[in-house]
Amino acid sequence: MADDDYNDVDMGYEDEPQEPEIEEGAEEDVENINNDDIPDPLVAESEGKEEEEQVQRPRKTSKYMTKYERARILGTRALQISMNAPVMVELEGETDPLEIAMKELRERKIPFTIRRYLPDGSYEDWGVDELIVEDSWKRQVGGD
Amino acid sequence: MAMVQERMHFSKEPYIEDVGPRKIKSIQFSMFSGDEIRKAAEVQVWRGSYYDERRKPIDDGLLDSRMGPASKSGTCATCHGSFATCPGHFGYLNLSCARVLLEEEKRKEFLRKMRNSKLEAQLKNNLMKQIVKKCVAMVTSRKTVECSRCGYKNGIVKKAGSMLGIIHDRSHVRDGMLEECNSAISHTKESKASFNVVHVLNPIKVLALFKKMLDEDCELLYLSDRPEKLIVVDIAVPPIAIRPSVFMDAGATSNEDDITMRLFCINKYNACVRRDLQGTGPLSNCLGDWEFLQVHVAQYINSDVRGIPASMELSKPMRGFVQRLKGKQGRFRGNLSGKRVEYTGRTVISPDPNLKITEVAIPILMAQVLTYPERVSCHNIEKLRQRVRNGPHKYPGANLIRYPDGALMHLRFSARKRAADELKYGYIVERHLEDGDIVLFNRQPSLHRMSIMSHRARVMPWRTLRFNESVCNPYNADFDGDEMNMHVPQTEEARTEALMLMGVQNNLCTPKNGEILVASTQDFLTSSFLITRKDTFYDRAAFSLLCSYMGDAMDPIDLPTPTLIKPIELWTGKQLFSVLVRPHAHMRVYLNLTVLEKTYSKSGETMCPNDGFVYFRNSELISGQLGKATLGNGNKDGLFSVLLRDYNPHAAAACMNRLAKLSARWIGNHGFSIGIDDVQPGEMLNRQKKARIEEGYVACDDLIQSFNKGNLKLQPGCDAAQTLEAEITGVLNKIRETAAKVCMEELHWRNSPLIMSQCGSKGSPINISQMIACVGQQSVGGRRAPNGFIDRSLPHFPRKSKTPGAKGFVANSFYTGLTAAEFFFHTMGGREGLVDTAVKTADTGYMSRRLIKALEDLSIHYDGTVRNASGGVIQFLYGDDAMDPAQMEGKSGFPLNLDRLYLKVKATCPRRDNASLAPSEILSFLDDRLSRHDMNPEGGCSDAFRNSLKDFVHKRIDMLRSTRRTLGLDEEHVQKDNSVVLENVAAHISGITSRQLQVLLETCISRYHQKRIEAGTAIGAIGAQSIGEPGTQMTLKTFHFAGVASMNVTLGVPRIKEIINGAKNISTPIITATLVSSDDVKSARFVKGCIEKTVLGEIAKSVKIILTVRQASIIVTLDMERIAAAQLMISAVTVKESILQQSKIKLKSQHIEIVSDNKLRILPPEADRSKLHFQLHSLKAVLPKVIVKGIYTVERAVINKVKEKYNLLVEGSNLLAVMGTPGVDGRKTTSNHIIEVQATLGIEAARRCIIDEIQYTMSSHGMSIDIRHMMLLADLMTYKGEVLGITRFGIQKMKESVLMLASFEKTADHLFNASVNGRDDKIEGVSECIIMGIPMQIGTGILKVRQRVQQVSKFTNGLDPIIT
Repeated sequence: MADDDYNDVDMGYEDEPQEPEIEEGAEEDVENINNDDIPDPLVAESEGKEEEEQVQRPRKTSKYMTKYERARILGTRALQISMNAPVMVELEGETDPLEIAMKELRERKIPFTIRRYLPDGSYEDWGVDELIVEDSWKRQVGGD
Repeated sequence: MAMVQERMHFSKEPYIEDVGPRKIKSIQFSMFSGDEIRKAAEVQVWRGSYYDERRKPIDDGLLDSRMGPASKSGTCATCHGSFATCPGHFGYLNLSCARVLLEEEKRKEFLRKMRNSKLEAQLKNNLMKQIVKKCVAMVTSRKTVECSRCGYKNGIVKKAGSMLGIIHDRSHVRDGMLEECNSAISHTKESKASFNVVHVLNPIKVLALFKKMLDEDCELLYLSDRPEKLIVVDIAVPPIAIRPSVFMDAGATSNEDDITMRLFCINKYNACVRRDLQGTGPLSNCLGDWEFLQVHVAQYINSDVRGIPASMELSKPMRGFVQRLKGKQGRFRGNLSGKRVEYTGRTVISPDPNLKITEVAIPILMAQVLTYPERVSCHNIEKLRQRVRNGPHKYPGANLIRYPDGALMHLRFSARKRAADELKYGYIVERHLEDGDIVLFNRQPSLHRMSIMSHRARVMPWRTLRFNESVCNPYNADFDGDEMNMHVPQTEEARTEALMLMGVQNNLCTPKNGEILVASTQDFLTSSFLITRKDTFYDRAAFSLLCSYMGDAMDPIDLPTPTLIKPIELWTGKQLFSVLVRPHAHMRVYLNLTVLEKTYSKSGETMCPNDGFVYFRNSELISGQLGKATLGNGNKDGLFSVLLRDYNPHAAAACMNRLAKLSARWIGNHGFSIGIDDVQPGEMLNRQKKARIEEGYVACDDLIQSFNKGNLKLQPGCDAAQTLEAEITGVLNKIRETAAKVCMEELHWRNSPLIMSQCGSKGSPINISQMIACVGQQSVGGRRAPNGFIDRSLPHFPRKSKTPGAKGFVANSFYTGLTAAEFFFHTMGGREGLVDTAVKTADTGYMSRRLIKALEDLSIHYDGTVRNASGGVIQFLYGDDAMDPAQMEGKSGFPLNLDRLYLKVKATCPRRDNASLAPSEILSFLDDRLSRHDMNPEGGCSDAFRNSLKDFVHKRIDMLRSTRRTLGLDEEHVQKDNSVVLENVAAHISGITSRQLQVLLETCISRYHQKRIEAGTAIGAIGAQSIGEPGTQMTLKTFHFAGVASMNVTLGVPRIKEIINGAKNISTPIITATLVSSDDVKSARFVKGCIEKTVLGEIAKSVKIILTVRQASIIVTLDMERIAAAQLMISAVTVKESILQQSKIKLKSQHIEIVSDNKLRILPPEADRSKLHFQLHSLKAVLPKVIVKGIYTVERAVINKVKEKYNLLVEGSNLLAVMGTPGVDGRKTTSNHIIEVQATLGIEAARRCIIDEIQYTMSSHGMSIDIRHMMLLADLMTYKGEVLGITRFGIQKMKESVLMLASFEKTADHLFNASVNGRDDKIEGVSECIIMGIPMQIGTGILKVRQRVQQVSKFTNGLDPIIT
């Protein structure tokens, strides 16, 4: 019984596609990233944050999500999920909160905003769905 | 019991949680006054006793139960808490007589400052520290200082030598003025009596003085509070919790803490003094008791305070408060900066190639103790029920259940079935570790961040921790009995961060220089080397078997086409590697790389006879026998590095897993061993070796003979003995080398040691030849064996013998065996190595600690700047291009390896039918791409990268042009129809299609942008580790020859230490002077003559005393021929000038006569005839040492020839003078003395110098470190405008935080100063955050995550109540 359980967990991160799907020379990636459907930063700002008292101005920080942001978001989200928060994606047998969080991030369903503080004390808000997540995070689950 | 709990209250307000999250923002340091002490105290302690006869603490005694329970059985009389719950309460002790709190050093300084600040009372500004400094400087300069207000002449306040106290020394005050002083201080110490009176300031006087001090002055002195608080009137008696009392001998006596004992003494003497003051005792007693009281109170604070009378010193020093705080085991470093943790394990490690590199095998025994608290949710409730049912003793079980109300249930004793059934959402089950859990794995010494990585757990039987050998490198582990630690992160956030940031797959590369660190080692390399031999063939069965070794029978494998089809199908070993890299056709990994292996014959590329040219094309191994350069660690173009860069960490990790499995199983079947016959020299080798050794011995004898005769040809800058040593060493080293060469040539290709050294798994050619041919010269301290006996190394040799054998040359091999003398020399060399390692570890450890402390809080911010915790900018753009050192692919820190990328693009984007572009088309395409936004500096692209990309493409264009020219085609235009054969040829050789060009440029540019360093990176700590870690490997050979022979330059750890310390005096300062005419030896000699100091004795033919009837004089005759030969431009006139400039020789111009061009007459200035003779002789002795030419700080200068150009290496300092010397190109002259460079050329030059010097030192030890780390260090050392060393003094100037400085060094001093100055310490740095237990603003802490409320509101009804 218990063995079954833990095999399930194991399988969860085994059945990921085995190898990278990078096309020749990885040029596909490049184009994807470049033409990614990044919403106009100004539009995005005005959409979700009416109640922000921050002055609207063009955001200057990188549009890529840093690995620290990714770790923090996944960690926070995994904690929420482990505490029985409603999951925003269809599950396919995943039980590990971290894995569920990863799936949510992959589908850009994590309902978080990142507040990036600049050294002068001002900040920029970025929705998790606005940021470009590096592709290789799929493999972060570890194992083979 | 309920009543007790109700009445429980604390001396502090209890922490109320529901106000919302709180965070300590800053800490205010101040002085604790008597009033405050009394307010905080629960009890006045005045009885100096511990327990009564019934072992109850005596009321008002030192262990009064109002200060907390003294033992486990007691309860607190204040809060009624038990031994475990009572936080402790203060008491106080009233001293009948006051004294100064701070140690004398402080008091002296303080008084000094106070006294003299009156002078500058008008100057009020915020830079009080500087005022204080000025004041102190004024007094220390020993001038009599007059008070501007009262005219009172102040003397110097000194510490009394023998006793504990301060002296107001007015002996330097000359006038015996007596005026009415209106200012505070002067009143009390009018020393009317005499000039040389010495006052002892007693505490009461000082207190009176302090009380009279003006607030204005206090402010000026940077005192935040009234100075009288510095005098201890009341002592806070600390709670019993921090000074536990333990009963000994079955309760007969009690063992008291040092603090309690000290308080006991204080109490005793306090009572004495009080009694004395009441007049019961004689006055002399009173003073003595008073003194004792002072000493005890001082020792209560700091037990090794200076100035204690010898009679009072104890044999075993007691620990004062200062001792509790400071040191490695002290409160700061032992309990606040580093804490003991739970959920850890430690045991012996062993290898297991069947594990993935990301896994670690954990013994079941450990897995049952280490638990993870998993919260029950809808996803895991069934799993956790099963765990609870299994309980603590059956493996996948659980130990505990935590209920939301905080209650615990141990599953060992209770009804597990019921507990399982009653499991509800929100309960926390402390379940056993299971497969796939995340653990941190660590091996000490943790020198860099790869020493702690997170692995996935694999619970396995037996008792060792196991992991894949490929991960040995980052931990620097082997399996000779090493133990390692593991920690289990306990929260979902912690394990996520551990996995994402510390996971093995995310740390395959070292941020030191971007080289791969996790890679195959030892046996894996050997078996890969053997498998890929040219003569290895496998039939279908064997090949399929080998292919099945690679995986867990889970992955599909496509067999490639066999190399031989008839008579039977055969596959080569190289094909096995093609399968290993790309097991099945659906896997789209197209590996392209070329590597030169160690065995490469330096020509012929793929046709190399040794098969040393490794060439993978589209994941097919075309040629080359794989070895360390391809598969091992420490390279940037190896197989795993390329997989990691071109694909992703997962691809590299999977490949490593396959290789580990394959090679472990393959070599188990194949067998690989070493025996005595492997190290037996052949006939030929023996003969050759004998001949070589004889040859060498004869050469040495010749050298020795010519040395004895004195006709040895000297090497530049050496004397005869040095030359002889250098020559003999050269000859002997050559013997060893030639023997080694012959040995390596002679060995059979199947020889195991040879195979191991060729593939790089273990051992070098030197090791082999030492076993087989000749051990060679043993060295001690970089020289041949020293003379331990009189004029000889061992009594087995004649005196002054310099023969090879007598000085430690070992002609035998380990196989033939060493003679007794040889063996002894060998142990001498061996011991030096051991001593060196032992010494160096301590040195480098401390260096790393200082580096980390200085750099710990530097991080990248969201605007791309590098700043410290308080927001000071260290760099505006990290490393000038904001690249992440861990991801650099090219040589010397360049982001990309363009050649390799080009190769890859050519291979993965085949030309097919597309026409190649014409040179002009390529150019326009390139310019078009480069003009886009993401190639501009605003788009985050450095000019260096842009230019190098441009250069690279231009080079390709040039190649295309030259190809077309040679083929006789039109250089610029390509015919599109592909009909011309030559066009095709040209296109194949160096053509590039538009698709290829596009892919190349897009790949380069997008990858470049991906390599930007991310905001939040703790780049300071990474840099400190990257510089500190290689330091530990720089064992042995602290001194090196570099450049010119005989020019010693300090290298290794001592040199790094000098640079980092910002040392004022370095052991080998060397100025490298470029010459204006650098190809002319003559001018070089001339400049050398100008720089090198020449003394009169060297150029004088004679210095004679001439006694005539009328006068006595010294005649100096110059050797003009010699001067001319050395091109010195010295004449009698210049000599006269130089003699006059010598201040030691008190000669005036009239005493020196120039007789002729080469003659001077010096007359003694003394008129007294009796002394004349002596004076002449002393002059004669001094004159030859007069420097007539050159820079006196220069030891010597050596002409150095580099690539047909001459430059000068000047040993010594004074860069300014060297730069100013005619013939030296001042613009290109550098020194290795950082402080001097700063003084001469300024702070930017000093920064450059630091970078260059660290780089030079590291590279001369064969270590490459990304230049960005050194830039950061140099920037940190120079950003304040002066060169600050990474020492306690420099760090003090760099950092503001008191807590950080206190946790570094001089703990107590920093805390005392902070409280006197009333410092307000913001908790923002790394050290402070760790001490206070607050998340720091680095890494994941740099941002805040906010929930999007609107979206979530839809789901409110679905929320579980526990979240609220």
